[in-house]
Amino acid sequence: MVMARPPPDPLFTLRGSAAPVNTLQFHCSTAGRPLLYSGSEKGCVHVWNLNNRRAERVLEGHDGASVIWVSTVDSTDAFLSQGRDMRVCVWDLHEGRSAVTHSLRTGSVGFCQCSLLEAETNKTLLALPAEHTEEIKVMELASQTPVRSLIPDSKQGMLMCMKMFQAESGPLLCAGYEDGSVVLWDVSHGRPLSCLKAHPEPVMCLDFDTDRQKGISGSSDKTLTSWIIDSQQNLQMQNSVLLTNPGVSQLCIRADGKIVAAAGWDGNVRVFGWKRLKPLAVLQHHKDLVHSVAFSNHPEASQRLMAAGSKDQRISVWSIYSES
Amino acid sequence: RGSFCSGCVSARQAVAPCLRIVSSSRDSAEVTEALRTIIHYLEGGNASASEKAEFNRANYTRVLQVLVSSLSSDWFHSLPAQERRELWDGFFLRGPPDQALLVLLDTISSTSDGSGLDWTVSVLESFLSAGRVGMLLWSRCLETNGRPDSVQLRETILTRLSSLPDLTANRLRTNTPARLLPQQYYTDLARDVLNTLENTCRALRAGQDCSLGFVAQLLGKVCMQGHGGEITTLAPRLSSLTRSDALWRRVSCKLLENVPDRWVESVITALIHHLHGASALSRVMGNLVLKNKKVQFVLTHKVLLLQYQHPTQLLRTVLGYLALDHDRRPLLKQVLRSVCQVWSNSSAVRHTSLDQQLYVSKALLLCVNLLNQTEIQELREELLQCMLGGVQCRLDSSTEHVRRMGMVVGECLSQKLDTPTSQLQFQVIFRKDFVFLIRSAEDFDDELTPYDMSADQVKQKATPPRYVRDCLEALMSSDDPERVELSLQTAEELLRKNVSTAREVSVQFSKVLLHLEDRYSTAGFHTLRQSAMVALAVIHTQPVVEYLTTEFYSLNYSLRQRLDILEVLALAAQELSEPITEKKAVSQPVARAVTLEQCGEVEHWRQVVEKRIQSKTRRISKGASQPPKAAPNRYAPVAAYFFFPLLRNYDRPQVTFDLLGSDHLVLGQLVHTLGLLMHLAVNAPVATQMGKALLDFVWAIRFHADQMVRRGVLFAVCAVFLSMPGENLLLELSDDLVETRAWLADVAESDPDADCRSLAVQSLVLLEKNLKTHLQSPSMET
Repeated sequence: MVMARPPPDPLFTLRGSAAPVNTLQFHCSTAGRPLLYSGSEKGCVHVWNLNNRRAERVLEGHDGASVIWVSTVDSTDAFLSQGRDMRVCVWDLHEGRSAVTHSLRTGSVGFCQCSLLEAETNKTLLALPAEHTEEIKVMELASQTPVRSLIPDSKQGMLMCMKMFQAESGPLLCAGYEDGSVVLWDVSHGRPLSCLKAHPEPVMCLDFDTDRQKGISGSSDKTLTSWIIDSQQNLQMQNSVLLTNPGVSQLCIRADGKIVAAAGWDGNVRVFGWKRLKPLAVLQHHKDLVHSVAFSNHPEASQRLMAAGSKDQRISVWSIYSES
Repeated sequence: RGSFCSGCVSARQAVAPCLRIVSSSRDSAEVTEALRTIIHYLEGGNASASEKAEFNRANYTRVLQVLVSSLSSDWFHSLPAQERRELWDGFFLRGPPDQALLVLLDTISSTSDGSGLDWTVSVLESFLSAGRVGMLLWSRCLETNGRPDSVQLRETILTRLSSLPDLTANRLRTNTPARLLPQQYYTDLARDVLNTLENTCRALRAGQDCSLGFVAQLLGKVCMQGHGGEITTLAPRLSSLTRSDALWRRVSCKLLENVPDRWVESVITALIHHLHGASALSRVMGNLVLKNKKVQFVLTHKVLLLQYQHPTQLLRTVLGYLALDHDRRPLLKQVLRSVCQVWSNSSAVRHTSLDQQLYVSKALLLCVNLLNQTEIQELREELLQCMLGGVQCRLDSSTEHVRRMGMVVGECLSQKLDTPTSQLQFQVIFRKDFVFLIRSAEDFDDELTPYDMSADQVKQKATPPRYVRDCLEALMSSDDPERVELSLQTAEELLRKNVSTAREVSVQFSKVLLHLEDRYSTAGFHTLRQSAMVALAVIHTQPVVEYLTTEFYSLNYSLRQRLDILEVLALAAQELSEPITEKKAVSQPVARAVTLEQCGEVEHWRQVVEKRIQSKTRRISKGASQPPKAAPNRYAPVAAYFFFPLLRNYDRPQVTFDLLGSDHLVLGQLVHTLGLLMHLAVNAPVATQMGKALLDFVWAIRFHADQMVRRGVLFAVCAVFLSMPGENLLLELSDDLVETRAWLADVAESDPDADCRSLAVQSLVLLEKNLKTHLQSPSMET
């Protein structure tokens, strides 16, 4: 019997955020040094230089309120951070500046992260959770004009997570709700296309692969569920996998569509094959809940790292299945 | 033949004087002139067709022979290269290829080294590269009715063509050009055959008759000579050509039908290896299997039941071929019946190798998968009989692998045969090993290989016990699954950390562990329990081992418990015999990855022994390694406590335990364990006594019917030969030496179990080595 290889250790660990790490975002695509942004519970955004593995800058714009989402905007080179102070800050980080140009009020008291869609060149859409706990607001980022407001008809409870993506017919959005259902929204017409009861417990996170028209959602129970959008734009359950311990904070599909990573409440990052959800690895490193996983968008496949941010205040950086 | 036409006469009359000139004249110009006259009769010359035919029939070979004899003449040497190519080579390349080939090959085999030989070889090469062999084959195809070739000539050409590389290599040895080497030659030949078939198709379309007899014979003969691999490079091409063209299918079937019976087996064998997929085989072979008894035997019997070295793909191709056509399906049923018979035959289970059993199992499952529902209903009774018989005799086996195979195949068959509610179900957790059995058609591509995920466990809420006595208490009386589980998980670590407390309760703890049952189906229960017991035996060796060895022969234990005792003793002895490493890592994850059945354990020991044998072999190339620090062997002084009590009561059957009777599973394990204990006692003073006692014991059971026991016996013998000091060993064996050798040699040759055979060989080698050192050392002669 051939023994399986032992799971890899992290390449390195980033310490120094001095607070639980809520969210991560790589920025390696353009020339220049590879960066990793992390948002912490104490309201700071750390900008990590992956070459020297140190924090280059610390951005504080949320008055100490927990930062739950960060994102770079490629088209305008801006940077967004969402805090629990009910604001999304738009940053200008050019030439060493670190200034908040303006901020958008969400009014949301929940934990739902925003979702950014940069499909068309001069039209960048941002979906935000709104004051009303079920509502999603979609606005044009540049002009800050609201495009749509998406409110489900039936009682689906609080909005938990969402992901906006471009389809042939226009922008679509998958949203996960408190009652465990996933709803597919047509953003341009502001109407729901399909609803799938994916979990018995609230949907904690989801991610969507536009190439395969297939998404995955995690919950506070032990299952991960993958689903597809069929040709009639209906959501259909496809596959599910059982975890050893319940609770997933975030799911992330790697851009090449080979693997998907799940940030577990048990402190483990689990890696699955994206095709069939075949369990591939359980990465044990963190001492506490893992809040976030992210894959690097580095142009060179072998440099595409994976990062996991945890409540134990560490960020572990891994190189997994990046050989070929 | 009576009819004299004017052309014939003129050709013969014209050629005869020219030939005389070529063979006898010393005048170069005259010779050249004469040859230019003859050239008219060759292909492309301006003589009439009937003249050419007559020339080819009556003069061609003669002309070539004369040319060959002129190889050493002044005329030949004075020819410029250009003219030489025209006047000499041209004759070989522009006449009937069969005659030219015969002359060339005769020349090569009869000429001695020199420029003449080189030239002839180069002409043969141009003969091959000019596609003359293709011409030859084609000319034979066209002889449907005419020219009654003598059988002898036909045979000769066949032989020469099929063994040309051998003929040339015999003469040229290492100077053989690449084109004449088998690899290249037969690949070219395959291309020529394919071209000939293409011509045949074209001719048939034009309404002309062709005969494939010669090509078929050639194919057969080449395959028979073992060049099937090269010649069937035409198989993939044939497969694609037959896909769209019915005529090609007919031609290809006709070709195979024409292969003589004595060669057809090698052709078919080579073909099924090189055609991928049942439909390809079906297109190329048609219903040959129904027409030819020999092919039928090969495909429905020989490949499936007599041979077992073929890849699964081949099985799939052959069985799929039988299933594809309505007329052939009865054969599939017949195959299923015979495979069933073999699979459920208990004697076959005992006396054939594991590989073969696995092969037959695959064939059985593939066959069943190909049946449709009505056929299954029709064969249901037979399949059921096969399943029950086969599963039963496999479950009786003492080899883990065979038992598993029985269960997996049984489950798969049951899935096909029974209603979903009444299916046979073993909780076979190790299906992974047999996935290839279960997986029928799908191919798993580009899968990423998973990492070890054994460390992924449910997070515990309760805290593990911190004291040895708490741990013991929990294991003894707690009903809380989580507590028991945690206690079991920490037991080994606790015991090893608190040696003095562990000593106080060692026997009691061992007793509790020995009687512990897996009430809560704890993950890795056996390994955890085992490692804790091993820890106890290591920490407080004498009392714990005394307790365990006594319990081994006492009443009211299950076989599993007795096996556990043996495993614990073996592992403890092994640990004791190893030097103490600085920090003994708690090797839980690794231990857990090893399967818990004793089969895996045996492998593990064997690996250890193998490693030791390796380490004892001196290798010159290796640099000197850092010598390990010397430490006293902890096992040597206590080896006797482990060993002798186990030999005490084996022949005393009890109500619940009959070691020499039905409980041969334990016997096999016991002998293995004793062998290991013996092996670990190398260099211990007590080794001689142990060896004597062990040899006495195993001598009585060396012909046991169970292969596990025999394997154990041979393992023990190996261990004795390795560990007992040489002089004592020979003293001990002295009377039985000859008999021992005969026995080992017999086992090495004829035991059905591969492990037994290799162990016997190993023992023999060790014995010979011992004997040699003994005979060489003069001090021993007194």
